[in-house]
Amino acid sequence: MHFEGSVEIRAPRDRVWAFVTDPNQVGGCGPGVESIEVIDDRHFRARAKVGIGFISARFLVDLEMAELTPPERAVIRARGQAPGSAVDATASMNLRDGAAVATTTMDWAADVTIAGTIASLGGRLIEGTANKMIGQTFDCMRSRLEA
Amino acid sequence: MSETYHAQAPTTTPEVGGMGHALKRREDPRFIRGKGEYIEDVMLPGMLWLDIVRSPYAHATIRGIDASEALKVPGVLAVITGRDLEAAGLHWMPTLAGDRQMVLPTDTVMYQAQEVAAIVADSRYAAADGVAAVLVDYEPLPVVVDPFKALEPDAPVLRPDRGPDKQTNRIWHWESGDKAAADTALAGSDVVISEDIYIPRIHVASIETCGCIADWDPVREHLTVHMTTQAPHAIRTVFSLVSKIPEHKIRIKTHDIGGGFGGKVPVYPGYVLAVVASLTTGKPVKWIEDRSENLQADSFARDYHVHCDLGTTKDGRLTGLRVRTIADHGYSDAAADPSKFPAGLFNVITGSYDLPAAFVEVDGVYTNKPPGGVAYRCSFRVTEAVHSIERMVDIAAHQLGIDPAELRMKNFIQPDQFPYHSATGWEYDSGNYPAALRKAMEIIGYDELRREQAEKRARGELMGIGISSFTEIVGAGPSHTFDILGIKMFDSCEIRIHPTGSAIARLGVQSQGQGHETTFAQIIAEELGIPATDITIEEGDTDTAPYGLGTYASRSTPTAGAATAIAARKIRDKARLLAAHLLEANPDDLEWTNGKWSVKGSPDRFKTIQEIAFAAYTNHPQGMEAGLEAVDYYDPPNLTFPFGSYICVVDIDKGTGQVKVRRFVAVDDCGNIINPMIVDGQIHGGLTMGLAPALYEAITYDEQGNNQAGTFLDYLVPTAMETPAWETDKTITPSPHHPLGAKGVGESATVGAPPAIANAVVDALWHLGVRHIDIPITPQKVWAILREKGVTA
Repeated sequence: MHFEGSVEIRAPRDRVWAFVTDPNQVGGCGPGVESIEVIDDRHFRARAKVGIGFISARFLVDLEMAELTPPERAVIRARGQAPGSAVDATASMNLRDGAAVATTTMDWAADVTIAGTIASLGGRLIEGTANKMIGQTFDCMRSRLEA
Repeated sequence: MSETYHAQAPTTTPEVGGMGHALKRREDPRFIRGKGEYIEDVMLPGMLWLDIVRSPYAHATIRGIDASEALKVPGVLAVITGRDLEAAGLHWMPTLAGDRQMVLPTDTVMYQAQEVAAIVADSRYAAADGVAAVLVDYEPLPVVVDPFKALEPDAPVLRPDRGPDKQTNRIWHWESGDKAAADTALAGSDVVISEDIYIPRIHVASIETCGCIADWDPVREHLTVHMTTQAPHAIRTVFSLVSKIPEHKIRIKTHDIGGGFGGKVPVYPGYVLAVVASLTTGKPVKWIEDRSENLQADSFARDYHVHCDLGTTKDGRLTGLRVRTIADHGYSDAAADPSKFPAGLFNVITGSYDLPAAFVEVDGVYTNKPPGGVAYRCSFRVTEAVHSIERMVDIAAHQLGIDPAELRMKNFIQPDQFPYHSATGWEYDSGNYPAALRKAMEIIGYDELRREQAEKRARGELMGIGISSFTEIVGAGPSHTFDILGIKMFDSCEIRIHPTGSAIARLGVQSQGQGHETTFAQIIAEELGIPATDITIEEGDTDTAPYGLGTYASRSTPTAGAATAIAARKIRDKARLLAAHLLEANPDDLEWTNGKWSVKGSPDRFKTIQEIAFAAYTNHPQGMEAGLEAVDYYDPPNLTFPFGSYICVVDIDKGTGQVKVRRFVAVDDCGNIINPMIVDGQIHGGLTMGLAPALYEAITYDEQGNNQAGTFLDYLVPTAMETPAWETDKTITPSPHHPLGAKGVGESATVGAPPAIANAVVDALWHLGVRHIDIPITPQKVWAILREKGVTA
């Protein structure tokens, strides 16, 4: 599945960059994230509980900052597992100064592959749920950065 | 063998209950009172539980398995991985089709929900918690779900474990018939009708899932496996060959089986893992699938991509048939087909028609799906064959502007052509196809329905009438042609008459709801005059029952039913000698009537079978063995060819695309009938199971190989709500070679029903330019077609 979009954030680019590349900050906005463990400055591990329809699963997700070009572009790769389910994702974000002063435009894209029980049993609901989760994630980021 | 049988009226009294009596099923009192004993009801002291870690990926490399957290779960005793099995040479096992499949993978998973590791625990809950705690490190690989793409040159080779000359996803290529003759016939035809017909993957969906209890006794060095299997003896042999445990140290024991339909013929990894777990722990270990595991991981049926070319003259005389098929078998060829028939009996595709030339070819193909190729509700691929030819004949009729009934009548094999040699090499034993179709047309009022359809069409209403005149091929099979892994497909019965005249019979087949306890008792009642209620029928304990290949593909009555009749006749022969001794008469002067040997011309001088049985143990002549028992291993001379004609009337809702089956008349002919009520019940069940793939059931996969029908929410098995009121009737054309004149029947309706329904739907839409719709014909499909054709509510 491919998702993409663009978000306007009322915060300067440096601040947005610092936020989105700090696992402890951005991690708190991830869908269902319960804990973040930093392995090193490029690798971290998250535990997240995700529900799709009548199925819910606790995922253990390994994340890697695969590409970091401050303060412009970041690529994150994630591979997560729950009993019987797996998710593989690559997300990229490009930051540029927004039209207004002290704002940032984030163009983002994500390719997500879901396998196993969740894809099998919740297949019809995945896309809608994923869109909702993405929306919530950006709402969370905006509210924290714009606070 | 030479005895001929009545076609209709029973010759025994209702008290005896021989052939033709509608005896109530003797197994039903325990079922309707909830007193059946299924595998899940069996609890053994000290029993452990096994649960399975399954792959989320359809194709991936396993880089490592971390079971350390699972072993910390309270109650978890052991974790079994492919590496553990590899050490014992048990990580692969043979399939019944001569391929092999993984018990657990060591390096690569091949389909979503494949077994990856097993947890052994002291409760079902602990086992499930253990499964959730296992961490497997996967590296996903490219997934191949489309069998046509699997055959492209750049497709990854899914089974590199096969020999160097087999580094391709083509498993096998199989041909039948005369290619040159078919090509010539088609080239000379006025019209060649061509169509691609896809018969989707479907699942057995038996209400009882698969399961077993493996019970290794380390003191006796003996293994008992309580299991849900349709073929206990074959399973015992396979277990012995794979495990190297001597066969006399293995006992397979079935209990009541809640539906099999072919899905309980194969050996699944869960069975082997339970055995390994019991061997390791010295305790009984139970494995039971849950519903989603059953729907996602067990063997599947169908998945045939069929291309047909059917030649015909302008006036509708069929001239030749050419069929090219891609068969998607998933990652392993796990079919239980006879070894000479990798595509089952698919080459019976010439059906009920006198086709002078035919050629059939099938390529089996590997994909990243669970093992396919099970003969499910279909007598070895006959469903696929019948659906294809019945659709093709219907398309031909519509295209030529000939009524589909008339075109069928014109091309039927005629009654005087039997035994009929088909262009693909079968010898049809007996049949009267025009009689069955005429009867179905009379019952449903065919001509009146056509008039009604014309009126409705004029008003813009969508009504269709569909016919299916199928020929089944069941009762595998003659030993010169049929075997599974080399074991010939005979079947067996052993009968013992007790001193007081009651009896026990044990058979090599295995009921899963077919009513064997009733019908096989009726055969003995027919042959010996012992009341059916005085006869115990026992199956499924390999320590006591004679060897047999089991129950599937409608083979029990053609094989074990025949063995039962022959064994009873052997007993009757010995009873004659005993009677002669008791009556002080010459055996040649005795005649058999209604359970008695009597002196010819002196009907008051007789001995009943019960008196003779008592004498067999108390007063047998010197020089004769005591006792009254016999066993027969029956090797059928040919298959049996049941047939029928079905007519279906559908109405289509233009607003929703919903197909409503308004009427469905089924006229079946399965030769002489042992129990008409049970036959009727089998046909009712079979029709419902034919309705299912026609309108509802399909297992589909997304492009990542994720099964999209893993619950009964997504896989619609018809209930009473969806099922129309079936109207059944029969003709009777006895099999000339079966000792009772009987044929198999269990799968006739599942084979015959889908094309009748599909033909009815296309018949309703043909005038709009609709030529073919693949099953299942869901409301979505019909709705989209109607909108495309500009039809609105």
